[in-house]
Amino acid sequence: MSETAPLFEARGLTKRFQGLVALSEVSFRLERGAIMGLIGPNGAGKSTLVSLIGGALAPDAGEIRFEGARIDHLPPFRRAHLGIGRTYQLTKPFPGLSVLDNVTLGALFGAGGGERDRAKAREQAREWLDFVGLAPQAAQHADHLGGPDRKRLEFAKVLAMRPKLLLLDEVMAGLTPAETDSAVALIRRIRDRGMTVLVIEHVVSAIRRLSDRLLVLNHGQLIAEGEPAAVLRDPRVVEAYLGRRRA
Amino acid sequence: MKWRWLALAPVLAVLAGVPWLGDAVLIQFGINALLIATLAQSWNILGGFTGYVSFGNSAFYGLGAYGTAIAMAQWHQPFWLGLALGAVLAVVVAAVLGGPILRLRGPYFAIVTLGISAALSALFANLDIAGKNIGLILPLTRDDAMFYELSLGLLAAATVAVAWIARSRFGIALIAIRENEDAAAAVGVDATRYKLAALILAAVFTALAGGIHAYWITFIDPAGSFDTTLDVRMVIMTMFGGPGTVFGPVIGAFVLSAIYEVLANGISTAAALFFGLVILLAVIFLPKGLIDLGGGFRALGWRYFLANIERHRL
Ligand SMILES: Nc1ncnc2c1ncn2[C@@H]1O[C@H](COP(=O)(O)OP(=O)(O)OP(=O)(O)O)[C@@H](O)[C@H]1O
Ligand SMILES: [Mg+2]
Repeated sequence: MSETAPLFEARGLTKRFQGLVALSEVSFRLERGAIMGLIGPNGAGKSTLVSLIGGALAPDAGEIRFEGARIDHLPPFRRAHLGIGRTYQLTKPFPGLSVLDNVTLGALFGAGGGERDRAKAREQAREWLDFVGLAPQAAQHADHLGGPDRKRLEFAKVLAMRPKLLLLDEVMAGLTPAETDSAVALIRRIRDRGMTVLVIEHVVSAIRRLSDRLLVLNHGQLIAEGEPAAVLRDPRVVEAYLGRRRA
Repeated sequence: MKWRWLALAPVLAVLAGVPWLGDAVLIQFGINALLIATLAQSWNILGGFTGYVSFGNSAFYGLGAYGTAIAMAQWHQPFWLGLALGAVLAVVVAAVLGGPILRLRGPYFAIVTLGISAALSALFANLDIAGKNIGLILPLTRDDAMFYELSLGLLAAATVAVAWIARSRFGIALIAIRENEDAAAAVGVDATRYKLAALILAAVFTALAGGIHAYWITFIDPAGSFDTTLDVRMVIMTMFGGPGTVFGPVIGAFVLSAIYEVLANGISTAAALFFGLVILLAVIFLPKGLIDLGGGFRALGWRYFLANIERHRL
């Protein structure tokens, strides 16, 4: 593990579902402490990429490196221990448990194997619930939460894992503009705590403000990477992603 | 909830006193009830906490019975060595089978476990050392009080184990697996290892119960030892009492054993019918088990039952 290696690197990642090529030869790096935005039209392969990084899906070709070491053969729980935390676009709470217990689970396991002590994990969970503004619902059953609150829970749960790399798959979807603003501020504060963030979002204005750099996927291919303003001016991006919205 | 544990002391004292207070029939009923409660409690470790519904735990029971019988009848070893042999056999089988079968989820896991006991039954029916399909006769010991206290001790040990699980990091990992295995893995739970540990723990207690039972009845054969009706009973009793709780399986086993005992003395078809009816009503009105009734009823009154019916709607 060398200090000069980027925190994360993907090389030639390819994933097929039967005939469909969901990702094709995707390569990119994430530098420590960066916020990388990932955009692309529906079905572009964004969530598939998150699942490949988290280990829920196995790539058909390519390499995934974390802190310089190959991780593509590791099961999801090991990647979580290494410090990779992901949210699910279709949230996956522990439905029968309270909101607090859900987040406590993140703290009890997660990066480095997690906190051993249940009482301490609970305390940490309360702090993260506070952080995402879900503290009043702490005692509720997770399956009683409404849409945006489910996203908040998913967010708090992954934060409690104390990951080095945070993969956020549309955690801001369904939020009001005001809520989106506070989510943007939250993610900045996360980064200031030393986490590296890959954030998927459809709201272009939010992602432009939030990201240091931007990746654009279209039909499973990485079509642009760079400064948000420059990427969003790229004609291919305009055509593939924004053009479709204008139409 | 320290007071709850204190409240248990007199209950345990009364239970322990049965051999000196009760008659022979009650003691025998007690041994059976304690052993089946141990099976339910063991089943609870995997089934109740992780939600992996096994119909194969009777295999561990049979291995416990045969381990004990072979050690005592064939090798003339003491009882405790037989118990140990049975437990070791069960652990080995759980460890070997657990890897592949615990990868299967939901109904697939349940279906695969259905075959384990039958396969082992056929295997033991062909082993010379196990007495082939005739079985084995163990040395006779007429000491029902001892068997009773042993069974009570085993049930207490299994319950203490479950109480520890319920408060431990291990236990919350098992519950996370039950609630959503993919999410559990994403959060960092090593589901494979925890499920296997739960299965092995269940196998140990189940095998010990099988060993005690074998020595008590002094005669075992393949059909009686690898008895798949036991699987149905452990599942029903745990579900009825409260899966994933500390005392639910024990209460479920005691209540259903008592009901069955009373009814079996009457007409047996009526007994079976009533038994089925009780289970049906319990599944509809008490999906979280008997143990949830007190708190739920206090909180919601009669609406508790309606709320439970609501639960079934998807
Ligand atoms: N498990 C799967 N089996 C088969 N096809 C899949 C599977 N998961 C995704 N796909 C397909 O792969 C493609 C990429 O899907 P993915 O969910 O990664 O897109 P996305 O960029 O996240 O889209 P969205 O913006 O709608 O969330 C889609 O065509 C999708 O239908
Ligand atoms: Mg997606």
